Parts: sequence; C-alpha cells; structure tokens
Amino acid sequence: MPIDWSEYQATGIWDELVTDRGRPRAGATNLCRMLSRLSDDELAARKTAAEVAIRTMGITFTVYTGEGSGSIDREWPFDIIPRMVVKSEWDVIAKGLRQRVNALNRFIDDVYHEQRILDDNVVPRELIVKSKDFRPECMGVSPAHGVWSHVCGTDLVRDADGTVYVLEDNLRVPSGVSYMLENREVMKRVFPELFEDYRILPIDDYADQLLRTLRSLSPRKVKSPEVVVLTPGIYNSAYFEHAYLAQAMACELVEGPDLVVGKDDCVYMRTIEGLIRVDVIYRRIDDLFLDPKLFRADSMIGVPGLMRAWRAGNVALANAPGCGVADDKVIYTYVPEIIRYYTGEDPILPNVPSYRCVDKDSRDYVIEHIDKMVVKPANESGGYGMLIGPKSTKAEREKFVRQILANPRNYMAQPMLILSSAPTLVNNRAEPRHLDLRPFILSGAATYVTTGGLTRVAMRKGSTVVNSSQGGGSKDTWIVDVE
Amino acid sequence: MKQHTLSKTAERIYWLGRYLERAESTARLINVNGNLLIDLPRRIPLAWTSLIDIMGTRAHFNQLYDTPDERNVVRYLTVDQNNGGSLLVSLSMARENARTIREIMPRVAFEYINDLYLYAKDRATGTLSRSRTSELMDGVMRRVQHIAGFLSGTMVHGDTWSFLRIGEFLERADMTTRIIDVRSVDMLEQTDGLEPYSQLQWRSVLRSLHALQAYQLAVQEPIQQPLVQQFLFKNENLPRSLAYCTSRIRSSLRSLPRNQKPLTAINRVIRFLESVEVSTLKGAQLHAFIDDCQLRLAQLDREIDRTYFHARLRVAQEQTQTQSQSPSQSPS
Repeated sequence: MPIDWSEYQATGIWDELVTDRGRPRAGATNLCRMLSRLSDDELAARKTAAEVAIRTMGITFTVYTGEGSGSIDREWPFDIIPRMVVKSEWDVIAKGLRQRVNALNRFIDDVYHEQRILDDNVVPRELIVKSKDFRPECMGVSPAHGVWSHVCGTDLVRDADGTVYVLEDNLRVPSGVSYMLENREVMKRVFPELFEDYRILPIDDYADQLLRTLRSLSPRKVKSPEVVVLTPGIYNSAYFEHAYLAQAMACELVEGPDLVVGKDDCVYMRTIEGLIRVDVIYRRIDDLFLDPKLFRADSMIGVPGLMRAWRAGNVALANAPGCGVADDKVIYTYVPEIIRYYTGEDPILPNVPSYRCVDKDSRDYVIEHIDKMVVKPANESGGYGMLIGPKSTKAEREKFVRQILANPRNYMAQPMLILSSAPTLVNNRAEPRHLDLRPFILSGAATYVTTGGLTRVAMRKGSTVVNSSQGGGSKDTWIVDVE
Repeated sequence: MKQHTLSKTAERIYWLGRYLERAESTARLINVNGNLLIDLPRRIPLAWTSLIDIMGTRAHFNQLYDTPDERNVVRYLTVDQNNGGSLLVSLSMARENARTIREIMPRVAFEYINDLYLYAKDRATGTLSRSRTSELMDGVMRRVQHIAGFLSGTMVHGDTWSFLRIGEFLERADMTTRIIDVRSVDMLEQTDGLEPYSQLQWRSVLRSLHALQAYQLAVQEPIQQPLVQQFLFKNENLPRSLAYCTSRIRSSLRSLPRNQKPLTAINRVIRFLESVEVSTLKGAQLHAFIDDCQLRLAQLDREIDRTYFHARLRVAQEQTQTQSQSPSQSPS
C-alpha cells in the first residue's frame, strides 16, 4: 500500500514534514504528494536504487570490529525521504551560527592572549586552567585572522514545541560533511524529478569554500599556497571523508611520515620532485597526536616539530591546536554569556537549558531530578560517559551522583529533550524517526555556513542515538525557498 | 595548482606493480612446470627444486621442508606465509599497497585487487591436486591480467602510472633473467645424450614466459638454444624480453622529474645488454652475464628508491621514525 499521510503518527513529537494532523508542513506538500503516489514496488525500487548508488559511488564509513580483525568498511546508511527546512527559517539559523562561531573564536583567541574574559569573571578562570583541553603551549600564538576553529560542526536539535537549540559545538575536528555532499548526489540520482518541483538551494560549493578558507590562512602570500589534508590513515573511521575532501580540493592527502619539519622551522612534504614546502595543513588528527616532540611521544601519526613550525608562524594548522578549550560541555553552558561579552548582542540561537553541577543550587537540583536529566561529562564526545536519566537504572544513577559530588566541575546536566522526527522508510512504510542536524561553519578571511548540513537519523524506533557507528542513518537536507 | 605525487604514493604503486607481476609469474611457472613433467621420461627427476632456485630461496626452503617434492614446493610457492615470495604473500602485499592508494586509482581497482587476493586465499588451502592447482594458477593469471588491463585502460597515464609500469617491468625483467639462468643449468645437468628433451625444455622456458607462440611467429625456426636466448634477451617486441622490459622502463623514467640518476642506471643495463652477443653464451659465461644484468637491475632499483621514495631532507637532517612501517617493501 502506498504511503497514507493521514495514518502517519508522530504524536507528541515535532515532525519536520508532517503536522500532528497528518498534513504536510509548509513547503512539503509536493514531496508528500509525490511519495504517496508511489506504489510499494516503486518505493522499494527507489530505495534499492539509492543502495546501489551508494555502493557504486563507494560511500563508506569504517567500523571497528575489535582486536585483530581491525576494521571494515560499511556502506553509508541513507534514508531516501529528505528532511526539509524552509529558507526563511534557515536564514535565521545561519545568522545565529555565524554569531556563535565568531564569538567562540574570539573567546579562544582571548584565552590564549590577554584572558580578559577570565579577568572580568564572566567565565571562571579555574574552569579554563583546569580544562584538559587548555594548552599552555598555545599561549601567545596568533593564527591568521584571529581564527582558531576554522571548521566547526554545530549540532542542532528541535524540541517538541518547535524550538531549535544548539546541542553542542564541535570545534576540533568535526566530520560528516562528505556525507552531506554525497547524500545530495545520491538523492539527485534517485529522485531527479523532485529537483524540478522545488527550489532546493545547492550545497556543492563546499569544497571550493573550504579551499578558499584554508588558503586564506597561508603564512606565505603566494598565489596558490600549498594546502594538504593530514589524515591518521586508512584505518581511521573518517578516512573516507579525508580522501573525499582532498580529492575535491585537489590537495595532497598526507600522513605524518609524508611531512617533515626543517631546521628552518618550515614544513615540507616528501614528493617525487623532492621536498615541497607546505603552507596550510587541514589536519584531521587530534591535538595530542600532532607532534610527538611536544605531546604524545608515542604518536606515530604526527610530525615531529610541527608545533614549533606552527608557533613560528611558518605553517597554518586548521583547526588550530588548543581550540578544544571552548568545546567542552561545561564551557558550553557559558556560550550565551560569551556571545554577549564579545558581540554585545543577545544569542540568536538558544542553548539547551543547562545546569552546571559546580554551582551548588544547580547541583542539588540535578541530583534531585536525575531520573529526568541527561548528565554529560565536560570533555567526552560521541555520546560517551553520559547518563540518560529516563533510561537509566537505579545503580547507574547512584554512580553518577557519586561522580558528580566527587568532581562537580566535570559535569553539566540538561532536561531530556524530545528530538523532532521526520518520516523515514522502514520496511517500505513511512514512520517517524528522531533526528538532528549538523551544519558546518567555515571561518577564515570570511565566514561561510553550509546550506543545511548533515541530517542524522536514529533508525530504531524511539531511539535518539544518531551516530552511524551505533545504527544511525542519514538523510539529504533540503533548504527550500517557498516564497 | 599542480598536484604533487607523494613519495609514499609512488613507492606503493611501484610495489603494487611488482607484486602483481610477481604473482602472475609465479603462477605461470608452477603451471608450466606441471605440464613439463607430463612430457618428460621418468628417469629424469625434473627437479621441482629448480622453481625454488628461480626464486633464489633454496636455503630457506630447506629450513622449512624435508623433501623438495611437488607437494612441498607447490605449497611453499603458493600458500606458505613464511615465504615472502609466495603467491599468497605477493597478492596480500599487492592488496596492502593498493589499499593505501585507492584515491589515485579508479575506485573499483582496489575491489578487483581485493577480490583477487580473496579468490586465491579461499582456494589455496591445504594440499591441492595438480588439476586444482592448475585451475587456481590459471585463475590468478587471468585476474592479474584483467587488473593490469583495467588500470591501463582507466588510469591517468601520468606520474603514478609511470611508477606502476616501472615496478611491473623491473619485476618482469628480473624474472626473465632468473628463469633463463636456472633452466639453462637444468639442461646442462640433465640432457646430455637426451637431445629431444633439450628441445622440450627450451620449449618450457618459452612457455614459462608465455612466449612460445610468439617465438614460432617471430623466429620461424625450430626451437634451439641460441635462437631462444637471442629472442628472450633481445627481441624488441616481445613483452617479456629483457630488451623490451628495459626499454619500457626507460621511456617511463623519461616522463618523470629528477630522472637523471635512474636514467643513467637504466642506460647502463641497456648498453650492457646491447654490447653482449647473447646467442652463443653457455654455461658459466651465460650465468655470469645474467649475474651482471641482475646486478645492474638491482642498482636501478636502488637508484629509484633513493631518488623518489626517500627524498632526503636537505634543509635539516631530521628523521621521522615511521618510515619502516610502510607495507611496500618486500619481506624477503
């Protein structure tokens, strides 16, 4: 049976395409009508076509399968029903993202220079100096344009009342943008007719914008600076993306051993023409692995002397080392104040209401309501080390209370949001599944926000875990101009 | 902006070329030897050891096996993980090198190479009958040729392509000289007073290099040592002759940057080959000539390695510690 939208149930959830009365939202009418006109066979055929396209295009992500066996490449999970945001709403979100990333970059720059914001007690000094992502080695370094986080991936979620919140800022080495681009390619192959019905804003200038941003960081003022992408190697879960971006920008994809730092404190890559000076490194490895001389001596993926070259101003690193100091779940709670402090404006995009366990009143509240809260440690990512109150056991809650009391600075808590949903094809039926959105913001000489971003969707019913390593899928994200 | 070819990339595709070629040669050798056995009288114990000698690993083999019979030799040459030159190890090394350079080849090429490895690995288990071995060797050869053809037809014929070709032809030149070297010694030992079989064995040399039909077409004379040697060393159109291989290496090198030293090295091989009258070489002379050729090929390999794969840092002598990690070098 074809899809019948009047039977589609997303009760108590904000659905991105369909209202709770089974009507398409503004802009979604054509899409919903088109989908409901497809027979079961046609729908299944489109789904198969998408799977074939993903296989032949070689869109994969890497999953670790455990000791010894290493890792395998899996085909990227993709749902053929797109997620839609109308342009007028998106414009506000994009403006909010610029404002936020701009303020965060000024914050990082301040932290590694005068530390005015700490002197003024807007952000407690102790929080920064005790953060494991604060790098004293970065003090006094001045990256081009005062920008530290050149590529930021900000996770957005929408609550049941329709409000869009910032869930977290990924300022270090966010990934996912290649899948955003590939999702669109797959969509164009599978539903070409939809692109005639809609004014869907294009997204395919990302690689050009990224290259432009990276070039604007070059310490040498030459016509075409040498830009490379630094990857930990083929076994990294995001290797597909590293290779994809290097190819799209026509840059070399290098690993640590391909680079060498000279006595002149410049970085060179080993090529068949000999050593070639490198100006900008888009590094996709973590701070602590960058330079075995300064950080982890056991790093086999880094480049000895790289930090020396960066501090001497002879090479640009994107993102800059040390920018993780602003990408901490507790610092997150201060971002509204940080925006006000540096821009004098009110935040355009709200934070999810958050409680800092370091404040006694908040801590007491969190402990009292812990069964309704999501508790997050300051500096873990990918959902590790979190407590999801409503889904936890008594023993887990008690363990978290003890951890909070032992180290309150390390925890913050948020009320449990009900993430919005969108129709997702499950066994050839459209069912609501929860999702989020990760737009990417590029900062260099100029700022650029992707048109939309990567929509990740939890494929299991009721689940809010969108990570691809844990059964999450993805959707193409359409910013549509309906005026 | 011109994209630069990383040393690592060049090194890996060079070794991909070598390992694929090595796998094909090994498979062909095993099959040809099996066929030759069928035709020989029983009193000639056609040594399977000569295959080990072609690989140059007799001592290593003796450490691992008691007797050099067919079963052990074929096992050693196909599946033995301890033998760095075994078919399976070659295919696995080809795959590991290809894995890291997927971006510079058509995407599906890695899949073909991966499939080839899995094909051989799934079948090369335990002891195989002669017919199963033969079938497997045919399958390997066919797949290598498919991959080589696919790459030739789809890859951009730029720098990386040149390195693939150089690896392929250097390995092939090396194998051609080894086969002639070992087989000619076999003949001396065993064919005294057995003239008809001498012809049979030179026929198998030609077969080992997939050159029997080509010989018949090009030479149009009965098979005899002087003509076969002339053909395999000097024919300019035979894809497995030493003259052809070296001339292909030279033209690939010409398109590369900083090629002065490698070109000098290849020219040394070519001039040496041209200077020697090969058809009449026999016994110790032939062996010495082949030794000289191999020495010069090894010098060329070192020169390529030094020039392109290990660009020394001239501004400072800082070493990175991870060079030894690359999967490219032969374990043998």
